[in-house]
Amino acid sequence: MSADTPSAPQGDEAAQTGAFNGPDADSELLRGRTWLGWILLTAKKSVVPLLILGTWTIITYIWPLAYGERLIRPIFLPGPHDLVKALLQMGPYLPESILSSVTMTLLGFALGTALGIAIGVSMAYSKNTRELFGGILDFLRPVPALALIPLFILWFGIGKGPQIALIVFGTSVILGLTTIEAIRNVPPVYIRAALTMGASRWHIYRTVILPSITPHILGAVRVAGVASWGLDVAAEFIGAQTGLGYLIIIRQQYLDTPGIMLIVIIFSILAMGLDLIIRAVERPITKWTERSTRRGIVAAVVGAT
Amino acid sequence: MAPKIVVENLAAGYGSGYVLEGISFNVSQGEIVCLIGASGCGKTTLLNIVAGLVPYQQGQVTMDSRPVDHPGPDRVMVFQDDAVFPWMRVHENVEYGLRVKRMTKEARTRRAGEVIDLVGLSGNERMFPKELSGGMRKRVDLARALAVEPEVLLMDEPYAALDVMTKERLQIEFVRICEETNMTCIFVTHDLEEALFVGHRVILLGRRPARIVATYEVPFSHPRDISLKRAADFQELRGELASRIE
Repeated sequence: MSADTPSAPQGDEAAQTGAFNGPDADSELLRGRTWLGWILLTAKKSVVPLLILGTWTIITYIWPLAYGERLIRPIFLPGPHDLVKALLQMGPYLPESILSSVTMTLLGFALGTALGIAIGVSMAYSKNTRELFGGILDFLRPVPALALIPLFILWFGIGKGPQIALIVFGTSVILGLTTIEAIRNVPPVYIRAALTMGASRWHIYRTVILPSITPHILGAVRVAGVASWGLDVAAEFIGAQTGLGYLIIIRQQYLDTPGIMLIVIIFSILAMGLDLIIRAVERPITKWTERSTRRGIVAAVVGAT
Repeated sequence: MAPKIVVENLAAGYGSGYVLEGISFNVSQGEIVCLIGASGCGKTTLLNIVAGLVPYQQGQVTMDSRPVDHPGPDRVMVFQDDAVFPWMRVHENVEYGLRVKRMTKEARTRRAGEVIDLVGLSGNERMFPKELSGGMRKRVDLARALAVEPEVLLMDEPYAALDVMTKERLQIEFVRICEETNMTCIFVTHDLEEALFVGHRVILLGRRPARIVATYEVPFSHPRDISLKRAADFQELRGELASRIE
């Protein structure tokens, strides 16, 4: 029976699409998802991290037992216990610093994302906007964000002002560019279809262009999310009195390598957390895309297993 | 009765030279006119002009004696490419044009239900397009176009990408729907059998710049049955058309 018979979508086509909401247990390439498969997979994923931890332990604890001194001096590579000590030592300062960095980063990230999308959409929507602001944006776009730090400090003072401005600048450039490109790549047939049904320009933006570009935008939001932590650290290096980046500079002055490594780890955890949140928001919004049903051999080719 | 659509001495093109030149034809209410010609001859451009999506340089295109200069829901188009919005469920797609018309929710649901029924998609209202086969997506596209009750339906090689079986089934349904609704239609295709099966009249376009090479009144009576395609006089006419395509 042809899969095209509309009242009975139980043909081959339905078999392919039927797994839309469920797990892909029948896929040959994902057959490893039995409990044994999970153990093997976890073991495989742990090989490299365990090797790194093992080498670190050997360098720190076992080598000195045999040769009397560390292979690498603690100032370059402190041991795990040094990190624990740093955590206990810096503990009291950490909550305030984390709160400060997280607030600044999220604020700058949210403002920059909103501003970038708004700029991108208005540049595509209005010829006037494009002609009035296109030139200045082309001029500002390639400016390295970090080169602006001294100016931002001069204009917005020491503290949170330049910090937020820098993150907003950096993230809005990413989102603005992506939005403009994504709008240009909307399949023309969707726009023609909407036009022949009498939709206005504004209505097409709301009902066709925005949903159509959302998956691309969300990709850029993830990139901007990662970038905003970097921008936050750079801003704090130069002009802040609080925050994790500021703490790194202080620890550097004391040659406190364990402290610096500890803050790096904290940054990594924070950035991963933000990324997880973005992906959790992304999933329900993009469930209509082909991407969310990629599995089997296609998933293997594009690395989505 | 005055013709629904009048194309008069039309010439159009992009950049240098015309794609279409000296095109004149009429389409009456309830008539299905097929435009056929080799790939890239300008059939789609002609249809886009009638849709109001592409400007033209010379001549005139009118519908009910009013010049066509912008797209509108009185002339809805069904495309060769997959034009169903993938982010909307089937019923949302079908309701799209009704939302544009600011119809109330109940009226929308009722109308969408009617056309989804008409194209044989009942029971699939909550599906996303990616869960449907190519043929089913075409039905959604047709339902979306029919939902707004257009005066003219513009079909741009809608079934070109489908397999033969699905294509024939959709052609039969298309003819049935047009008869039921007394739909006026311009149907672009490069499939001669399709043109002869669905059309009341077939207009043959020549190479660039496209001109009308010949017009055939299709002699077969309605309602048409798929067995018509195997009939000797059908195949004879098909052969004659094929010999005149450049």
